[in-house]
Amino acid sequence: MRIASSVTGESALVKYLLIGLALIWLAGFLLLPLIVVFVEALRQGVGAYLTALVHDDALAAMRLTLLVSAIAVPANLVFGLVASWSIAKFRFRGRNFLITIIDIPFSVSPVISGLVFVLLFGAQGVFGAFLVSQKIQIIFAVPGIVLATIFVTFPFVARQLIPLMQAQGIDEEEAALSLGASGFRTFCLVTLPNIKWALFYGVLLCNARAMGEFGAVSVVSGHIRGLTNTMPLHVEILYNEYNFVAAFATASLLALLALVTLGLKTLLERRGGRDVKI
Amino acid sequence: MSKSEPVAIGVSNLSHTFGDFPALNNVSLDVRPGELLALLGPSGSGKTTLLRAIAGLARPDSGVISFQGADAEGLSLRDRRVGFVFQQYALFRHMTVADNIGFGLRVRPRRRRPTRAAIASRVAELLALVQLDGLGSRFPDQLSGGQRQRVALARALAIEPQVLLLDEPFGALDAKVRKELRQWLRGLHKETGLTTIFVTHDQEEAMELADRVVIMREGRVEQVGTPAEIYDAPATPFVCDFLGHAFRFSVAVQGGSARVLGADVATKLADGPALAYVRSHDVAVAPVEANGVAARLLALRGSGASLALEFALPGLSAPVEVLCPRVNVAGEDFVVGADYVLTARAAHIFPAP
Amino acid sequence: MNVAAASSRVFARAPSVLPGFGLTLGLTLTWTSLIVILPLAALFWRASGLGFGGFVDLASDARVVSALRLSFVAAIIGAAFNAAAGLLIAWVLVRYDFAGKRLVDAMIDLPFALPTAVSGLALAALYAPNGWLGAPLAQLGIKIAFTPAGVVVACMFIGLPFVVRQVQPVLADLDRSLEEAAATLGASRTQTIVRVIFPAILPALLTGFALAFARGVGEYGSIIFIAGNLPFTSEIAPLLIIIRLEEFNYQGATAIAVLMLLMSFAVLLAVNLLQSWSRRRTGGGRHA
Repeated sequence: MRIASSVTGESALVKYLLIGLALIWLAGFLLLPLIVVFVEALRQGVGAYLTALVHDDALAAMRLTLLVSAIAVPANLVFGLVASWSIAKFRFRGRNFLITIIDIPFSVSPVISGLVFVLLFGAQGVFGAFLVSQKIQIIFAVPGIVLATIFVTFPFVARQLIPLMQAQGIDEEEAALSLGASGFRTFCLVTLPNIKWALFYGVLLCNARAMGEFGAVSVVSGHIRGLTNTMPLHVEILYNEYNFVAAFATASLLALLALVTLGLKTLLERRGGRDVKI
Repeated sequence: MSKSEPVAIGVSNLSHTFGDFPALNNVSLDVRPGELLALLGPSGSGKTTLLRAIAGLARPDSGVISFQGADAEGLSLRDRRVGFVFQQYALFRHMTVADNIGFGLRVRPRRRRPTRAAIASRVAELLALVQLDGLGSRFPDQLSGGQRQRVALARALAIEPQVLLLDEPFGALDAKVRKELRQWLRGLHKETGLTTIFVTHDQEEAMELADRVVIMREGRVEQVGTPAEIYDAPATPFVCDFLGHAFRFSVAVQGGSARVLGADVATKLADGPALAYVRSHDVAVAPVEANGVAARLLALRGSGASLALEFALPGLSAPVEVLCPRVNVAGEDFVVGADYVLTARAAHIFPAP
Repeated sequence: MNVAAASSRVFARAPSVLPGFGLTLGLTLTWTSLIVILPLAALFWRASGLGFGGFVDLASDARVVSALRLSFVAAIIGAAFNAAAGLLIAWVLVRYDFAGKRLVDAMIDLPFALPTAVSGLALAALYAPNGWLGAPLAQLGIKIAFTPAGVVVACMFIGLPFVVRQVQPVLADLDRSLEEAAATLGASRTQTIVRVIFPAILPALLTGFALAFARGVGEYGSIIFIAGNLPFTSEIAPLLIIIRLEEFNYQGATAIAVLMLLMSFAVLLAVNLLQSWSRRRTGGGRHA
């Protein structure tokens, strides 16, 4: 029984002071930036807002953002499943080292994440001469954007699944195999249901980052309007042209994406309980 | 308790509820100086709440707690000088054993704080007292459960408390360590003469260790007394039941006595229906020719000095368990399936509810 | 599949009845090598091509030094603010009940979820001289936007969740009887907080600080809108990398990138050492 104690709390005055301070800080640092996006986007009315959104360049940016995340997210989903199966369900030498390597993209500046692909595939890059001779363009084109996005979102799914699958062990899989299930059916019927919330969670965060990535994509994109501009890049271009309403309108869509992500994330945390974590 | 007894801690009319749950229900209790007092009861009986209220860790809804006759309401924990040993010890894991023990001295206001050297020598003294010499530089995580328990005790003693409170002091230990520590604590109490209250749900522990035992149930005090008083004269059916295997008969009181299991037991109750409690080892088993109640032996268990015999008694649906020496009166082994005669050597009679 | 067979051999493993080890590990290694190792190797291969002298020349360029200094100093100041604010917020979320607490808790992750370009845009609008916060601050003579202070503000925005999310679970798991024990031993509430609670959450706080710092050093999107990007004053290292790339000065970009990685690594190593020191002081450190 948890017994309420009179000695481990603060006085009401201190308590409300601390709550007040925390809320003021959060309002100033989190809430205001969110609100200002929508206020600025609607500054010249709903009409101007919608006009900005249906502009050809804006629509092209949306299409490209959707395309990039439609490639990057499934790629990292499959990779996450494959990697977590081998890393979490088997013990082998170099396992922790491999986990560290998978985590690297999280600790590298997005700009450096873009730079490394320029150094590989750019005109003066390692494979530059070869690519030019084959007339294949990666940098300043969609493939480069996709590669850079896959790089920055690389760890999301795997790092959700690995600790969970490690904690779950292999007892259930062994039981299924001993009952005669094939390896693939065991994975589908036993492993997958056990990790589904963490998997959704990883995919959700992966998608948010894939659609919102700016630094890495900015380096490899070349900023060609209508062709290699994703939504975040489009925001920057509009801002630099002093087209503030359009910039904030595009930004408001991305902010909505963030809010939906946060909502789903909170829902999943409630559903999946301790299975999911940051 | 007579008026002349000195009182170290007085508890009067204490009540406390958690939501709808009455954890303490009008509890009054006097603790004598220097005694070792056990608060005994099943879980949820309010014993830990009472202990925490005395320590000042919980503020009761109503009632008064006094230390040496002075109302403790409004006394800060620092001024109460209560040594509290927590169930899971609550040792500070980032401090060494020595720093843990010296904590209470180091946090004193500057003018009452002993010098570094004085603290160090006090810590060394306490380490010796709890037989942990040389372990002062270890961290709590590097100690066994029994050692941690003694560190917690030394830490509580360091502030020279006027009373020592222990919450389930042996609860987290295994059986062997438990027994050793029990003896050791008894010795320590003798040595320090400190008024000590401990909470336990283990009746054997309470009866063996305590000078007096307080039996609690559902937030009330059922009985207070020495282990012998409580054992020999349980005040309520609950106490009787709680202190050892007893089985219950419906009896009729007539002219100051009731017939329980072949024996006439004297009682002060008026004529009418009553309940009799007979403890497992208060039953004599005799060959079938003797006087008493006939019963068939269903099963026997045990291989030590005493046996547990299971009898079917006419009129009782559940079998009755009797503890008795390995060999019966006639010097023969017991035979399962044979008939014997049972007689109550003692019984406790309470009014029927 | 050759890689599968080879990986099975190289990565000696404990026997298991589960199938698919060779295949999945082979795929994992191949994919990780292509996406992570190969590109990073290209960076260091490039850097090694500069030679030590060339590297030092590029690294000691005044503009590079000033950009790196800004990125690191702003990230450290931002992380320090975050450590304080994050500790306060985690404390309030764990210890107190108030209306809307769940919503506030969910909002903490906004800087993770909000695309950095949006954060940058919003912060620039807020702190611009005519912005909601910028205007009153300008009255007080404080300029945030388009100055180095803007870089710090952006670091404070993006780093906040790291500290809160590190400290929150540790604080929630902290045994209340520790505080009660300290109180019965005569410690005041302040003494209990400073001597008992703070040491217990210090490792988590340091981790949060390190993560917030690492994020701030590398941050680009949310900074460039608010920083003003004046060379030698408010130009951050990641931006200078992009400028060098736009000048087709791959060597210059590579040198800055390698320096950033090395410096981040050094700071994180220091924090790790500090952390294992503070964990060692807890004896076994189950609180890590």
